[in-house]
Amino acid sequence: MTERATRSGIPLEPVYGPGDVAGLRYDEALGDPGTFPYTRGRRPPEQAASAWIQRQLSGEGTPIRSNAQLKYLIGKGATGIDVIGDTPTMAYLDPDHPAAAHAVGTQGVSLCCLEDYRELYAGLPLDGLTVSHSLPPLFGIAGFYLAARERGIDPARLRGSVVQPPFYCEDCGYATHMPFPLRLRMTVDSIEFASREMPRFHAFLEDTYYISDGGLDAVEEMALGFVEIRYVVRELLRRGVPVDAFAPRIAILVNCGMDFFEEVAKIRATRRLYARMMREEFGARDPRSLAVNIASHTSGLSLTAQQPVNNIVRGTTQALALALAGVQGIEISGFDEAFRTPSPESHLVGLRTQQVIQLETHVTRVADPLGGSYYVEALTGAMERRIQEMVARIEGLGDPAGLCERGWFRALFQDAMERHAREIRDGVRPQVGVNVHRMAEGEDTLLRDVAERKIEPSRERAERIRGFKRSRDSRRLRAALEDVREAARDTAQNLMPPTIAATAAGATLGEVAWVLRAAYSAPGDPFGMMEPPL
Amino acid sequence: MLIGLLGLDQHEVGAVAVARLLRDAGMEVIYLGRFNFPPGIVKTAADENADVIGLSCHSWEYLHYIDELLALLAAQGLQVPVVVGGSVLTASDERLLREKGVAATFGPTSSVEDIPAAIRSLVTSARRP
Repeated sequence: MTERATRSGIPLEPVYGPGDVAGLRYDEALGDPGTFPYTRGRRPPEQAASAWIQRQLSGEGTPIRSNAQLKYLIGKGATGIDVIGDTPTMAYLDPDHPAAAHAVGTQGVSLCCLEDYRELYAGLPLDGLTVSHSLPPLFGIAGFYLAARERGIDPARLRGSVVQPPFYCEDCGYATHMPFPLRLRMTVDSIEFASREMPRFHAFLEDTYYISDGGLDAVEEMALGFVEIRYVVRELLRRGVPVDAFAPRIAILVNCGMDFFEEVAKIRATRRLYARMMREEFGARDPRSLAVNIASHTSGLSLTAQQPVNNIVRGTTQALALALAGVQGIEISGFDEAFRTPSPESHLVGLRTQQVIQLETHVTRVADPLGGSYYVEALTGAMERRIQEMVARIEGLGDPAGLCERGWFRALFQDAMERHAREIRDGVRPQVGVNVHRMAEGEDTLLRDVAERKIEPSRERAERIRGFKRSRDSRRLRAALEDVREAARDTAQNLMPPTIAATAAGATLGEVAWVLRAAYSAPGDPFGMMEPPL
Repeated sequence: MLIGLLGLDQHEVGAVAVARLLRDAGMEVIYLGRFNFPPGIVKTAADENADVIGLSCHSWEYLHYIDELLALLAAQGLQVPVVVGGSVLTASDERLLREKGVAATFGPTSSVEDIPAAIRSLVTSARRP
């Protein structure tokens, strides 16, 4: 990294002028907000909401505790919710799995059966709220769908999203221990299902946050995101799903680190690249298929255990960049991120930060306020070219699915982690409180008491779920799991309806996952500790 | 030395970085990656004749696994020092771990440059008869 370069290595001039944007044609490269190629925003200024969806990533302990957390945030003005599962849930393990013993509910909410979803959403206006799910897609959709339907809410009215991570989940913290073809099928089946049954729901949320927060730079982040989007889109088209049936509900959840203008340029470049790709390569015609919905979660990796109060400043700076870039939703990582999932205090600070930026700074009164800046436009162009080049380079190496299975991406993630650690260690990347402006331990006390408070695992969950499993109608359950198995063996079927039916019949996440893994010749329980459900 | 994560914790950035740091310092590192449980770690430590077991923590699962790990090592008569590092370690966590018998801890404020030297001195003193 040279001194005058962005974090992803784009060389910078000391100042920018007309010469740097000489070739830029307004109608072709920018266009007004709400017009192709949507560089300046996905909606026309008069229709653009003055506020993005303000939410904070939530989920902790039992579904009941998480429900209280969600209600707390809504009571404080949150306009959407995003729920993340705990580590067992993200790994498709039930809370009574022995490997889950010490991890239930400590880094997200524990969710494994329909009753859990009922409790999670109890009393929330499911038809008037966007509900984002950082959860295993089949199960997050099944739970949301069933919980809403039971309350008389037509699933067609549900809004929100679910992350679809088939390519990178195994390498980046959401390991499923499922083979690639099964992961891809869960993604494509659930998107196809939702395009029919839940047309307002973004069933294809490409999450480039979690893949990049190990240290990928902004170009790598978006290149890998586009590789995954392109692969899944081609798969849906191969099945005969018309592009305009699903593309309006593709969204991207991007990271936002500390390189302010690079992050702004990344978002603007992504909108342009996406619009051109959807129109020119995939033949989309519906304007909603061309104007991608972008939300962001601010970088956890940029936050430090040292001087946690500085993280509030980082979150604010990142959220300002996002507001200026014009995104549809923001979540700010908690100032206690280095230690724990967000405390009530850090949740509130994150939400208040968003409210202050939106209501007091006036930065959103004018659409794309940075548009036309020599620097921002030059950087947007450079970012676009680099992302496009990297996508072409990766796809030129062969089938991305093969690259994934051979560990090519894993090597990239590992290199990025090492590079990040080296840059911090060598001071190439200044981080206040870490490699510059350090403080003696005794002096570094502000907010530390909040940040260091621990969450006990929800051990009662294991016993409760064991009791629940004993209480079920075993014949009905068995038949429902048999249907999942049959569907899994027949790729002409969609996995979503039998997963919904099995969930309604009392099957848990871990049991359905067991049956799916086994149908794809993988060990039903990756740790070999549980009895088969069938 | 062995380096790995415990339980279902998947935050690998620290583990990967320290493994590289120690390799660069000339040590032989067996990277166990994610999803390790005490019995497997102890078995690998015995099979590979490991000098040190290094655990990277970004969840609190270590608090519950560390006793089992130390007990298993003791039961098998393996005198392999265990070191624990990670940003979630607070000063009081570090004290608690040392009281339990963890040989060294590296919290968020430890300086990375010190890690190779600390590991080396552990190996030297463990090898001393």
